[in-house]
Amino acid sequence: MQIAVSGGKGGTGKSTVAINLAIALGEHYDLALADLDVEAPNDHLLLGVELSNEEPVELFMPRFDYSKCTRCRKCAEVCEEHAIITMRDGTPFLMPNLCSGCAACEIVCPVPGAILPGKKLMGHTYLTETPYGFPLVTGKLLEGEERAMPIVSRAKKRAQALGKELLLVDTAAGTSNTVSKALEDSRLIIAVTEPTPLGIHDGELILRLAKLMDIPAMVVVNRSDLGDVGRVREIAERYGAEVIAEIPYSENVIRSYVEGKPIVLSDYPEAGIFREIASRVVEFLGGGE
Amino acid sequence: MQLVIASGKGGVGKSTVTASLLYLLKDEYRFVAVDADADAPNLDLLLGVERWEEERELIGAKVARINTESCIRCGICQERCPYDCIKVIDGDYVVSELTCEGCNVCGLVCPVPGTITLEEVRSGVVRKTTTRYGFPLISAQLDVGRPNSGKLVTEEKEWAKKLMGELGLEHMIVDSAAGIGCQVIASIGGADLTILVAEPTPASLSDVQRAYKVVQHFRQPAYLIINKADLNPGFTALREWAEAEGIPILGEIPYDRAIPRSMSMLKPFVEAFPDSKAADAMREIAEKVREEILR
Ligand code: SF4
Ligand code: SF4
Ligand code: SF4
Ligand code: SF4
Repeated sequence: MQIAVSGGKGGTGKSTVAINLAIALGEHYDLALADLDVEAPNDHLLLGVELSNEEPVELFMPRFDYSKCTRCRKCAEVCEEHAIITMRDGTPFLMPNLCSGCAACEIVCPVPGAILPGKKLMGHTYLTETPYGFPLVTGKLLEGEERAMPIVSRAKKRAQALGKELLLVDTAAGTSNTVSKALEDSRLIIAVTEPTPLGIHDGELILRLAKLMDIPAMVVVNRSDLGDVGRVREIAERYGAEVIAEIPYSENVIRSYVEGKPIVLSDYPEAGIFREIASRVVEFLGGGE
Repeated sequence: MQLVIASGKGGVGKSTVTASLLYLLKDEYRFVAVDADADAPNLDLLLGVERWEEERELIGAKVARINTESCIRCGICQERCPYDCIKVIDGDYVVSELTCEGCNVCGLVCPVPGTITLEEVRSGVVRKTTTRYGFPLISAQLDVGRPNSGKLVTEEKEWAKKLMGELGLEHMIVDSAAGIGCQVIASIGGADLTILVAEPTPASLSDVQRAYKVVQHFRQPAYLIINKADLNPGFTALREWAEAEGIPILGEIPYDRAIPRSMSMLKPFVEAFPDSKAADAMREIAEKVREEILR
């Protein structure tokens, strides 16, 4: 079973919620945490661990064997990314940056062996043990590569393969299709938002995505004293979601964030809020010990 | 000149810094602002924009559809989809529209011709307005669940360029998306220089280092603004990194409650709280931008 922590906009404290929730839920479930914010993965920094067990994510990239290629242009015509250009005589050339690795060109090429399966490195996935009793799977896109989807999908598979009772997914900000990919299969979405006009605007988008995907959502309002929580409640209600926690702006949260020591394990009063979120989740999912 | 403001990740105050910088430069320079975070645009909110003068739909995303009538349920499409976007729901093979990348591999491998079609769908809107500060703003909004392609950003920048010609503007100032994916690459590519915004935390340092690699990839000069500079006095790694890389630091903005408060007022903080510590720092930064960058 899977649940996800997501937030419409970056910097709302989504990762802070994710790692603290993972620690608190660890008492109830045998779980794994997956950091699918592949453009800026940070959960390991907040957990104070170094990424380990690196595995490359390589994608198919066509290589042409010009001695066999008949210059029929079929590969260029089929490429949705326009990653293959052809010379006047039909000789195909690849622009590697545009290639998504889908292999459509190889499928249509009528000449066996004219397109060879080259590979390009898109990023890595990691499997890191944490001192908190659960493993962290991280996806990390290579700088200069544009396509997050393959990394998200590979990291998610790696996390699923661990076969844990609960998989907690931390998604990227926004509502693009890589976020949908991360959210897919979730039983519950915890949407982290701020009560500022910006936070509310972006929070509404993630609730809309949850609705489209037919996944129940609960809202956690971070820095709740910096704006109008009433507005968040109104919007949450419109999407059938409930505001389950308010985390006031707190130096303690920042301090623990900076020090890489999860606040849920501290004596600060904020620790209680994260435990409360965890118990709401357990209640919703049922089970656990 | 085309300059980009990037951070590698959201939440470090990039857009608030950008809004204030635009505010401070508006009287002296003629520029167009571009909000290139199509996934979560917010410069319009920070600049108090209430309506758009012009809006263009961008049709460009593609998604596959399966005709359940002719489908023989062989499952080949599901097996071959590189991104696992095809599910079986009540015995029917169905494409998940919210994750499909539109590559058409499923359509190519399907043995029953015409069963899978690739349909064009809206990926979002690109829009334009004139802010109450006089300069134009181009922004975009990606539709929920669409591939986060750089195309929207490219479209925005093209519109901005046209506008520069029509209105005789000198500069394009681009507020880049979070992350380092295609929107950021589309933002930074073709620009003259990038101003990075980061805060002194390990996470922000790691993100900005990744963004800097993209800047280096395009062989552009970079500058750094440190936001919430006093948040974490023991953390010197950000400054040390910038010095080691030879990235000039344009200034440091202290953590100041005026900033979140100005955000709720939908105004740049230098306008809402001109006497705040943060505003002082921001004015110094704007001065450096004048002297060293825009000249
Ligand atoms: S693998 Fe896909 S994207 Fe790459 S060149 Fe072939 S058809 Fe185009
Ligand atoms: S489809 Fe195959 S044979 Fe035709 S141009 Fe492409 S590589 Fe050459
Ligand atoms: S178009 Fe590509 S991504 Fe979409 S369902 Fe077909 S194979 Fe999968
Ligand atoms: S490949 Fe074609 S026929 Fe086979 S399950 Fe998919 S849509 Fe149906």
